[in-house]
Amino acid sequence: MIDVFFQYDFLRYSFYTSLMIGILAPLVGVFIVVRRLALLADTLSHITLTGIAFSMMMARYYPAFAAINPVYTGMGFAVAGSLMIEQLRKSYAYYKELAIPVILSAGIGIGVVFISLADGFTTDLFNYLFGSVAAVSRNDFTAVAVLTAVVSLLLLLFYKELFFLSFDEEQAVLSGIPARALHLMFIVITAVVIGISMQIVGILLVSALMTLPVAAAMRIAASFKQLFLFAVLFGELSVIAGMTAAFYADAAPGGMIVVINLLILGAVLSADRFLKRKEKPVWTSS
Amino acid sequence: MDIILNLSFLERGIAAGLLIGFISPVIGAFLLVRRMTIISEGLSHVTLTGITAGVLVTQVAPWFNPLYAGFLFSLGGSLLIEKLRQVYRHFEELAIPIILSGGVGVSALLISLADTGYTEWYAYLFGSIITVTTADLGFIFLTGAAALIVILLFYKELVSISFDPEFASSSGIGVKKINFLFSVLTALVISMSMKVVGILLVGALIALPTAAAILFAKSFRQVLILGILFGEAAVVGGITASYYLNIATGGAIVVMGVLLLAAAFFVKKLQNLWNRSERKEHAA
Repeated sequence: MIDVFFQYDFLRYSFYTSLMIGILAPLVGVFIVVRRLALLADTLSHITLTGIAFSMMMARYYPAFAAINPVYTGMGFAVAGSLMIEQLRKSYAYYKELAIPVILSAGIGIGVVFISLADGFTTDLFNYLFGSVAAVSRNDFTAVAVLTAVVSLLLLLFYKELFFLSFDEEQAVLSGIPARALHLMFIVITAVVIGISMQIVGILLVSALMTLPVAAAMRIAASFKQLFLFAVLFGELSVIAGMTAAFYADAAPGGMIVVINLLILGAVLSADRFLKRKEKPVWTSS
Repeated sequence: MDIILNLSFLERGIAAGLLIGFISPVIGAFLLVRRMTIISEGLSHVTLTGITAGVLVTQVAPWFNPLYAGFLFSLGGSLLIEKLRQVYRHFEELAIPIILSGGVGVSALLISLADTGYTEWYAYLFGSIITVTTADLGFIFLTGAAALIVILLFYKELVSISFDPEFASSSGIGVKKINFLFSVLTALVISMSMKVVGILLVGALIALPTAAAILFAKSFRQVLILGILFGEAAVVGGITASYYLNIATGGAIVVMGVLLLAAAFFVKKLQNLWNRSERKEHAA
């Protein structure tokens, strides 16, 4: 079944890329979910759309701009958007949770205006939104591989600090961990992973790959390490099965991957109900 | 009914926009005090799933209006969110991202299976004022009127539950029933708005006017009134801008909402500065 991906170059690159996404997205997703930032992932991915739309518009009016891969503009916008969220959270002292919907919807709205100025309601945009198997070139693949290595290295290096920050932020700050700098690094990492993943799964579906495997893994894992293990396992499973199914059914790969994630989550939750298992107490320790 | 039938496509769009600009901020105000504004994003993405499923149905049964499927899915989504909140008791905030991303995932799959042109999907995603048909306007009018009547009838209960659920239940209000009613209302408003502003932008009309109103309002009633004012201003300004600049209506409406919010922040800041200098004068 899978061997078809090795017959064609472009399929091979997307397949390798998606294997890396299947590891990266759930890895970052674990920290995102445990830090209660699951909604932030959705917001950042929607703002990535604004960035991509911006570079589509610029490329139309200033051809020099076309040399820059829209994905990088998207990442930049995502980081800027997350800084604006922090700012808004301070402005709405009593309604902090308003910051996310405001930025999310403002991001898409502005994005749509950019797109319509670029006359960009085309197939390209559809691929950005929902992903495409054929979107990865050899150069893209090299960039993805380098970024994957860098992100994994950073996560490994700062594992302890991130872990500490996730479970007991106050204690972490007191013991001298530079929480703000670490948070910023984490945001940049998230933006990069979104940028990488969106080429295959699409902007609207990136956050699914970050939250759904983790949500399923949480019901099974008995420790933080196991949480990573199961999340990555589910992530990879969904990516491989999703890509294969999408290729044979001629369907959108992103959609297929998410649907398989939903099936895994559904299976885990119904097994829970069958075995009368409760939520694991490990995850309440914050 | 004759009046509705005789409207031109542009007038239909404007009428639909005005209705939506009125009702969305009202729902937004209730969602705000319940601290659930983000639910509108989750539900709008599920509505997309319903719409795509509906479009698949229309390929077999052409008389079917996908908006109804959108409404049903949105209602189902809001019930599922409640359920997931109970399942993930320690991570309640996971419920919305799960529903949101799951909803888009299924719709992406259905879209790729439906074999319909891109243009139609863009109209659903980002809204298009010129595709509002007479039937759509009827749907928007009926749902808008129904939502408004329900809110007026249950205003006291809704306010009481939103601000103090414990007190509400002890004073004999059926919290569960009213909560369900509110879910239906939210689903209704989202599915009626999506034709004009588009799925991805529905949340904006619920969140942005309310976010601007809360900066000035001194009471809940003022949040409602100011929210409606900001909402209508965003719709009117957005439609006008989109007509003259030839840009997507949904986007223009939202950008107008963003500009209004930014202006509101600016005015608020000036107000604060003014108050501070006045206080200093008093002190001196």
